[in-house]
Amino acid sequence: MLNLFKIEWLKIKTYRTFWLLYLSFMIFSPVFLWFVAYKFMSSKYTSLEEMTLKALAGSPFIFPKIWHTASYFGGLFFIVIGMLFILLITNEVQYRTHRQNIIDGWSRFDFLKAKFSLLIFFVLSATVVVFLSALAVGLMYTPSGGNLFEGIYFVGYFALMATAYLVVAFLIAILVKRTGLSIIIYFVLVVIVDNLLWLLLTINGNQVGYFMPLDVVDSLVPNPFKPKVMENRTVPDYVLIIAAITYISAYSYIIINHFRKTDLKT
Amino acid sequence: MSVLTINNLSKNYGAVKALKDVSFIVPKGTVFGILGPNGSGKTTLLGIVMDILKATAGNYTWMDQEYSDSIRRQIGTLLETPNFYHYLSAETNLKIAAKIKGKGEADIPRVLEMVNLFQRKDSKFNTYSLGMKQRLAIASTLLGDPEILVFDEPTNGLDPAGIAEIRELIKDLNKAGKTIIMASHILDEVEKVCTHVAIIQQGVLKTVGSVASVMNMSGQENVTQLLIEVSAGDNTALKNILLQLTGVQTITSEENDLLLTCNETMTAEQINRFCFDKGIVLSKLNLKRKSLETRFLEITGKQSDR
Repeated sequence: MLNLFKIEWLKIKTYRTFWLLYLSFMIFSPVFLWFVAYKFMSSKYTSLEEMTLKALAGSPFIFPKIWHTASYFGGLFFIVIGMLFILLITNEVQYRTHRQNIIDGWSRFDFLKAKFSLLIFFVLSATVVVFLSALAVGLMYTPSGGNLFEGIYFVGYFALMATAYLVVAFLIAILVKRTGLSIIIYFVLVVIVDNLLWLLLTINGNQVGYFMPLDVVDSLVPNPFKPKVMENRTVPDYVLIIAAITYISAYSYIIINHFRKTDLKT
Repeated sequence: MSVLTINNLSKNYGAVKALKDVSFIVPKGTVFGILGPNGSGKTTLLGIVMDILKATAGNYTWMDQEYSDSIRRQIGTLLETPNFYHYLSAETNLKIAAKIKGKGEADIPRVLEMVNLFQRKDSKFNTYSLGMKQRLAIASTLLGDPEILVFDEPTNGLDPAGIAEIRELIKDLNKAGKTIIMASHILDEVEKVCTHVAIIQQGVLKTVGSVASVMNMSGQENVTQLLIEVSAGDNTALKNILLQLTGVQTITSEENDLLLTCNETMTAEQINRFCFDKGIVLSKLNLKRKSLETRFLEITGKQSDR
């Protein structure tokens, strides 16, 4: 697997688009988190409404809630990595290098494993950035000690969310093959369909909405500014985690099964 | 020993039958041409034995071994078009290929030299001309000095000098003991380079064998024929005389010559003496090998809808 990753790295390490998208996530998501925290913490609220809003939101930028907030912000930007991942897969189809890799001696499964190694790289590096930015912002604004790592499981939820988003991207890229179309479908799915389904299927405390493909992971890291009283979810986290892992496994199975049997054409 | 054995391969794309029950064997040490018009199934056939297309029926073995993915690492293959990462340099592209093949990077300068691309090794692939791309693809196949090479239209996009170079390269590789499988729609190329040929038309294997044996089979019955071109001052008189010579089967008038098909026992000397004895001096006497083109047209018919 490490060898496969080294080859993947050779493919992307001098690819400008890769660095542009990758670094935009790695830089913007922590900077944005810090910037919002800075605005939030330094504003002097005077009106009663604003005071109430702030109180309802809890303390999103200090420990322990910063773990949750940073994970949520990371999730907002992670679609960039999803698009990058799609691009790196559909590029191979466009350049027919997926065929060449196999002609040169990879098995079809090797090709998929190489891309999975890239997926793991993206998830791990993004998770490290989320962890470090939460730690930094938390240390900056939390008055005194306490337990730093309470609520750190949100970073784990982030990693699961990132994995789910990339596996969906992988599936779309493998099935659709065209770069532009894949990215549009991914974007529409993540930004519109996903949220629409969630809205429709969580009305009146209905819990089905939480089980929609990507809502499963979204629901694990809800909007941190949303007051607790407005949370209608009664399904416990562990059920969502199991559902998320089930989805990820099912998508992976479809990817492997499809790619093993298909004719590799452009 | 056979390098590649193909057993009853068929491939359907929906209702289109791209390959129909094709079987043949590629013997070791040959330059094996797969000849056929565009769309006849050559690339489909090579795609299947490279595992990028899945056969509808039939099977194949490389080197009489049970198939495994790692066998492809011992085969240098150029299929259809040069496939490289456009944004990477030639050298990086070859590094990727070498790593996948499990070969060292040390071989990269050698193969780049072989196709005259060493000076341009740091240029990005998308700055290359079509001919350079093709040569880079050939360089990639040579990585690790494999015993088997598969070329699909190897001279595609090359200028005349480049075409001649690649043909020489293929002959040299064959002299060095390599087996080369080459698909082409260019008859002349196959005739000049190949020792064996399989002719495919609309997915059906029409004939297969050594180039000499394929060319010697006449259209219908398996009788060897000679083609002889002759001319004299008076071609009409010459024709009348030659009609009396036993062994001459047909006489066709061409622009300035007569084209004779004769029994295989006929010799130029016989014709020359016969005409001289009858008082005609030949101004031209040319013993022609039957060209592959003639054979190809006999086998596949002449319509371009092949």
